[in-house]
Amino acid sequence: MNWVGFETLVWKEIKRFLKVFGQTVLSPVINTLLYLVVFGLSLGAHMPQVAGVRYLDFLVPGLVMLVIINNAFMNTTSSLFISKLQGTIVDLLVAPISNGAVIAAYVFAGVIRALLCGAAVLAAAWLVTDVQVRFPLEVLLYSVLVAAEFALLGIGVAIVADKFEQLNIVLTFFITPLTFLGGVFYSIRVLPEPWQSISKVNPILYMVDGLRHGFVGRSDVSHVHGLALVAFSCSLLVAWNYWLLSHSKKLRP
Amino acid sequence: MQTRDDIVLRVTGVTKYFGDLCALDSVDLSIRRGEIFALLGPNGAGKTTLISIVAGLVRRSSGTVEVMGFDLGKSPLKVRASLGLVPQELNYDPFFTVNEILRFTMGYFGQRPDQQRIDEILEAFDLTDKKHTNTRELSGGMKRRLLIAKALVHNPPVVFLDEPTAGVDVELREELWRYIKRLKEKGTTIVLTTHYLNEAERLADRIGILDKGRLLRTGTKEELLREFGEQVLVFDVDRAPEPFPRSLEALGVKRDNGGTRLIYRYQGGNGRLDEVIDSIRSAGISVRHIEDRHTNLEEVFLKLLGRETGWFQ
Repeated sequence: MNWVGFETLVWKEIKRFLKVFGQTVLSPVINTLLYLVVFGLSLGAHMPQVAGVRYLDFLVPGLVMLVIINNAFMNTTSSLFISKLQGTIVDLLVAPISNGAVIAAYVFAGVIRALLCGAAVLAAAWLVTDVQVRFPLEVLLYSVLVAAEFALLGIGVAIVADKFEQLNIVLTFFITPLTFLGGVFYSIRVLPEPWQSISKVNPILYMVDGLRHGFVGRSDVSHVHGLALVAFSCSLLVAWNYWLLSHSKKLRP
Repeated sequence: MQTRDDIVLRVTGVTKYFGDLCALDSVDLSIRRGEIFALLGPNGAGKTTLISIVAGLVRRSSGTVEVMGFDLGKSPLKVRASLGLVPQELNYDPFFTVNEILRFTMGYFGQRPDQQRIDEILEAFDLTDKKHTNTRELSGGMKRRLLIAKALVHNPPVVFLDEPTAGVDVELREELWRYIKRLKEKGTTIVLTTHYLNEAERLADRIGILDKGRLLRTGTKEELLREFGEQVLVFDVDRAPEPFPRSLEALGVKRDNGGTRLIYRYQGGNGRLDEVIDSIRSAGISVRHIEDRHTNLEEVFLKLLGRETGWFQ
């Protein structure tokens, strides 16, 4: 195992997003905090409690998950896709770093960025809410696993995509709507049927709700099932990424 | 005697198809340790494809590749660890400085960044004052220097240079040629592709000529010239007599320019010059001027490609 190669790639990827900190950390954190202001402090002030939890406390875990999902995905897609466009992917393809180590390094850096953004949102939220962390280990596990899942998805999408537009399609037509409809801003219990049942098909609901359970100790769906779903998705995505790195003609024609 | 250990790169029956297009057709090639090998060929001949296959950037359709005794199919990481590649296309990572890029490259190849080595390579390619410059601010020539520095910073035993001097100034070309010779002295094996025949003539120990995916011939410059080159003696004479002497005709001497020029072609050391001169004398032909011409590498190259020009025809 080329540990130095792995460490170098991790460090290079972290350094890459830190070089554009304003764009990669500050901007998504501020955007997410705007949701907190609009939905939480403004509209939320007129809302009753949600399932026995103050709306602001209910909202914060959803926003943390929102920023984690987006940034884990964006970190790996933008880095790999720009490398493909610029031709610098050659540096990686000729390096004696195994496919497993490449995947692990990109995921590691994606998780770091996602957690940094999530922690920043949480820190800012603590200024205006008193949301508690009931189960810290569960919060950590959900945050890391979901970040890893979307970082893995980002690697695959970046390898397969030929145009920036295709990256945006995944983000705009799949990730963003599923996140918004995944209970970030509301409890699915307020939805009438069949929307409540339909919502339960949305995998992101389990991630948002799982993290929320770690914070407030309540959830609409089983947080254990959620964890199993995320772990299973991660394994599938690792296999997909490995196959792409080993066989995809998009990287090695 | 050439032993198996002398061969650092062995390509056997390598074929590559891009869809229906056959980019490489069963190429066999062996390159020895410490050799400078130049791959020559027109655009689209398959030079970059061949290099890219060995470097792991392109998958072969069939055939085997061995580098430093490691099979590319079985031990791709060990093969990659032995190589340095200067790709043909300029690329740069806009997030980092020259120094950072070189540190990352050493790391990718499993080496802890060694600032002394990095400074040495920066100095060798006149990049010292650009050390902390972001790569997007470099000129085209500087970017090319950085690509070369990246390929060499980890001291690979085998280096591929894919048209390294394409579009660079004379100064960098000379610097690179000097550095390549220094690498060869240290035992590094170098494979370069080039359009510049003088580059191949000046640097290469052996040359391979590739066209339409087929390796037409490999050999030293001398071997290629001996096998495919011609010597031509051109005699400017008052006028060749009519009928043309049979002795000259039998020797293969031809008339040209309305009979005022006699042309005798021969290959390598097989000329029958004494007989030609004796026959001219005995035919009473008065010679005003003799010119000795010989084929250069470019003409051998064109001849092998079936694109002969000038006096070859």
